[in-house]
Amino acid sequence: MHNIIGKKVTRVDAYEKVTGKAIYGDDLKLAGMLHSACRFTDIPAGKITKIDISKAEKMEGVEAIAMYKDIPGKKRLGPIRQDHYILVDDEVFYIGDVIAVVAAKSKEQACAAADAIEVEYEPIEGIFDPAEAIKPDARHIHPDFKSNIVVHYPLVKGDINKGFSQSDHVIQREYRTGFHEHAYIEPETVTAALDPTTKGFKIYGSIQNPFTTRKIVALFMGLNLNQVNVLGSTLGGSFGGKDDIINYMACRAALLCKMTGKPVKLTYTREESMRESYKRHPYILNYKVGFNNNGLLKSMKIDIIADSGAYSSQSFFVTWRSVVQATGPYEIENVQTDIRSVYTNNSYTAAFRGFGSPQIIFAQESLMDEIAAICKISPLDIRKINGFKQGSVTASGQKLSEHKVSLDEVIEKATEKSTYHKKAEEYKNLNLNSTRYKYGIGLACSYRGCSLGAEGTDTTSAIVSVQADGSAYVLAGLNENGQGLRTTFCMVASEVLGIPLEKVAFLEPQTGTIPDGGPTVASRGTLTGGNAVIDAAQNIKKTIFNVIKDELKVSDINDTVWENGFISVKNNKSIAPISFEKAVENSFKAGVNLSAYGWFKAPEVSWHEETGQGNAYFTYVYGCQIAEIKTDTYTGKIEVLKVTAVHDVGKVINRLGIEGQVYGGVAQGIGYAILENFSIQNGIIKSPNLDEYLLPTIKDIHEIDAILVENEDKYGPFGAKVIGEPTLELASAAINNAMKMATGKYFYQIPLTLERVCLGNDLVKPSRQSEAGLSTKKRKQAPRVSGVKIITPSNLKEALELKSDKYKIISGGTDVVIDLRKKNEPENLLNIFNLPELKSITVSNNEISIGSAVSVTDIITNKTIQKHFPMLVDACSLIGSKQIRNRATFGGNIVNAAPCADSAPPLIAYGATVLVQSKNGKREIPLADFIVTNYKTQIKPDEIVTAIIVPIPQKKFYHSYYQLGRRNAVNITRMSVGVIISFDNKNLIDDCRIVSGSLFERPQRISEIEKILSGKLLTETLISETEDPLHEIIDKAIGKRWSSVYKTPVFIDLFKDVLRDIIKKNNG
Amino acid sequence: MIKINLKVNNKDCQLDVDDSLRLIDVLREHLGLTGTKEGCGVGECGACTVIMNGETVCSCIVLAGQLQNANIETIENIEKNYTLSRLQELFLKNGAIQCGFCTPGMLMSAKALLDKNPNPTEEEIKEALEGNLCRCTGYIPILNAIKEACDK
Repeated sequence: MHNIIGKKVTRVDAYEKVTGKAIYGDDLKLAGMLHSACRFTDIPAGKITKIDISKAEKMEGVEAIAMYKDIPGKKRLGPIRQDHYILVDDEVFYIGDVIAVVAAKSKEQACAAADAIEVEYEPIEGIFDPAEAIKPDARHIHPDFKSNIVVHYPLVKGDINKGFSQSDHVIQREYRTGFHEHAYIEPETVTAALDPTTKGFKIYGSIQNPFTTRKIVALFMGLNLNQVNVLGSTLGGSFGGKDDIINYMACRAALLCKMTGKPVKLTYTREESMRESYKRHPYILNYKVGFNNNGLLKSMKIDIIADSGAYSSQSFFVTWRSVVQATGPYEIENVQTDIRSVYTNNSYTAAFRGFGSPQIIFAQESLMDEIAAICKISPLDIRKINGFKQGSVTASGQKLSEHKVSLDEVIEKATEKSTYHKKAEEYKNLNLNSTRYKYGIGLACSYRGCSLGAEGTDTTSAIVSVQADGSAYVLAGLNENGQGLRTTFCMVASEVLGIPLEKVAFLEPQTGTIPDGGPTVASRGTLTGGNAVIDAAQNIKKTIFNVIKDELKVSDINDTVWENGFISVKNNKSIAPISFEKAVENSFKAGVNLSAYGWFKAPEVSWHEETGQGNAYFTYVYGCQIAEIKTDTYTGKIEVLKVTAVHDVGKVINRLGIEGQVYGGVAQGIGYAILENFSIQNGIIKSPNLDEYLLPTIKDIHEIDAILVENEDKYGPFGAKVIGEPTLELASAAINNAMKMATGKYFYQIPLTLERVCLGNDLVKPSRQSEAGLSTKKRKQAPRVSGVKIITPSNLKEALELKSDKYKIISGGTDVVIDLRKKNEPENLLNIFNLPELKSITVSNNEISIGSAVSVTDIITNKTIQKHFPMLVDACSLIGSKQIRNRATFGGNIVNAAPCADSAPPLIAYGATVLVQSKNGKREIPLADFIVTNYKTQIKPDEIVTAIIVPIPQKKFYHSYYQLGRRNAVNITRMSVGVIISFDNKNLIDDCRIVSGSLFERPQRISEIEKILSGKLLTETLISETEDPLHEIIDKAIGKRWSSVYKTPVFIDLFKDVLRDIIKKNNG
Repeated sequence: MIKINLKVNNKDCQLDVDDSLRLIDVLREHLGLTGTKEGCGVGECGACTVIMNGETVCSCIVLAGQLQNANIETIENIEKNYTLSRLQELFLKNGAIQCGFCTPGMLMSAKALLDKNPNPTEEEIKEALEGNLCRCTGYIPILNAIKEACDK
């Protein structure tokens, strides 16, 4: 029995985080600190012919510009192979490469100077497809390494050809996975300061692995390790992502710090972060599998190509985990696996929670369901037949006998807890009666090697120090990344010493005060660090015991009990317990040391590089996740209704923390499966910020049931193993398998975007006109608001007097400020947000006038608008987020004329007009005419939109509106359709207005279809009569566009369903 | 440079600031209120959420020049006399915090909701928090914390 282990414990660092007091990297300010900014490359591949800093170095506030030639130490670095240019020399390899870095008095000055550095190139044709890069005649991206293949791991067990010849079936399938962005909410930041004591540096910031940062900075600056002291700040999420990038940012900051003699901070915007940071490796996975009619797997040949991007980074270790686990948790007699990681000119790829396993689990577990279907057995049976049992032998020849093999247990628990069979039956029945929405349930399971395995030396450190009053400090050689490691370690010390948790404090260590504990990766924190804390605490216990053993009249520490702050003798109440404080006091008096180092060295593992055989990891965990989904077969949208996640964790230390790990990991897994599409085309990032790289919102995550199985491991602290990564790796396959049940189709690529689900393939948007026109020199290096002058008139008259092409209007700013970030010409703004004349909603008998500065929130909550214009309320409720709706104005949504503006289609249906005014007068224009085309209206430079006027319908309209977005909130509307219809007393369609958004070149009514419907009875037959003409209209208007192959059929289906909805409302 | 008068956490402030600054810069750099975080700069992640005149806004897309006479409340104003608010306590209890970077924004969105509507439905809670991204918790503990805060 434990006192605190296994309980729900509040984080020890929660108070500072919930009050805004925690100091994150960018919150830090040092006296005299300079700010810095990077000059990135403009092209993904090419020779640099000229770098001109002459303009930049003369700019106000600029103190130093660092380049390749200024590097005092090693110029190329990397965690395993030294191929990474921290500042490039004469060639660029991907779009995140940095040519120079500027330090200046202010951030804006540094950014402006970075913009002013002129670079000329001789472009090289980039290689962006790993399948091309691997071809023997492909250009070598780094000629000095003589091959584009970074690493090749083979694995051979048995004889695959013999296995295939003995199989009843042999099938071959190819799977693909995409780049995956960590998207920690805190972008990277680092600060370097001179440390006169060591003649080196102190480094602060969002650092995942302080010892790695120390090593890289020391090499780069030509220093000893003891001259670099890394003091990590509170870390705003990492997930494996704040390793290499932060080390290289630290190098640049340190170099500038040396050049200027002042502290230097380097903080990234989200765009800079997504530009330079590494991603999860995209894989192309080819599985050939032989099996018998009864489902028994006989032989498996696996070929995988991993895109390493421009640098090798962690590719060696990431792909090694893949080669170990590529067969999944199944015992197969004959296996041959080859995985090759290759250089391309894409973003480089490295560590990300899961580390080479989410890709193979997606493929392998999808494949298992397909095999089961061929054999006509259930997904459960195929796994039962082939799954690892106690004593099974893995593909690498490791006998699983040193830990409890709990695959069957986690699968059984998951099926039981999710009521898998009952749900499968329910969904099957639901699907029989539903055409548009289909349901499915699917499962996936995995085994995962714990900690580093044969990747490298697996040791870690901790310090426990008991103070004179009986309180204690814990320090660790591992890092708090947000996962709750501090709390876990304090709990472990509290448990071992038998003192309350409140008596234990975690001290953020510096690299200078604790031995290198290795990286905080591979979910190894609790398993290895927990053991080191136990080791340290046990040492202290022994010391104290020696002082008090005579008083307790015992000679063996095992005869004592340490709990609730007292030390007592086991099964002997006659001897008075000694309080911990008293024991400590006596120990101090006795002159003994109550501070101790703890050390953990992982048990031996082995690996044979040529054959891929060996005991890869000293223990493994098992997990099973079951996903329940609903998919819209018209649009391809997937809703993950519930995930049941069962994980064998060995032993729960902090129940609150571990459940949080499951929820967070599953949510990232859902994002990986259906939403998160890091898009890079020809080396250029197409999803540079979180408006295009979509994370799940609170509306996209429904139910997650976290179930923890505890089979204590002999090597784990209190039996605990790992949890961080297994939680992420299973959802994509489980969802994919559920999608098969729902749609009857197999899918072979994630993320399961709308287009992939509907069409089976991707749609590639050609480069935007605006992008092509904007020369790279005009683009800001770091997007930011700069060069703004703002004037706020006190009334409309004053505003109209001022308005000319000299001023751009700003109201809520939700579009304008975002545009300002991209532009680098100065901008004069006329702020009309608070003009009282534009803030009112006035109602007369037959119309409503809505001031252009009324916020979207005020529209949605206005009772009159709710009553007369319900479709407008429906549409406006879907604009942006709550924060955006509070700020965005009605006039702004109209005048910006974005194709995706949600308010325009309903307003056009309701016959709205736009009131525009200038100092010379006013005019009223029908909204349908006011918007000329995307982003263009009839407004003149001296005019301001002052109101939108909408006639109040004089008859009863039924309405239906559908907005298609990729996720459930904060969408850029992909497409929308709205219909309002009134019926005469014979129930024939009297007045019918159909509008579309994001379909044609502007939102508009579709009058041809309105004519077809008018005067008729709205029936299913009539609805189907609209199909061909609608198809023709859309085809004529947008048939040649890249997106029409998706949009045309989807719009028609949505339109028909919107009409059906009106029938329902009319009947009901 | 522009002169602005505004109220931040019940204190009147008069500032001379650059026109290009945003509300988040005014808070973090001029007033030392670093509890408000920047995650994306384009109003997508909600880490910079503060309450402005009673409504949540993303402080990264409000310009300083639009702050005249504004009333701003930030995360620093939630704890009173070293005592956490019930909502803060419930965030702790439910494990609604991991890395903590989204937490200030989450709390401001939740507070703005509960100030106006002490008993929201689950749907209303999600509506209020849809613009706050969290990458660590999967939202479930956050939702539970807010639900518990409105339990009578």
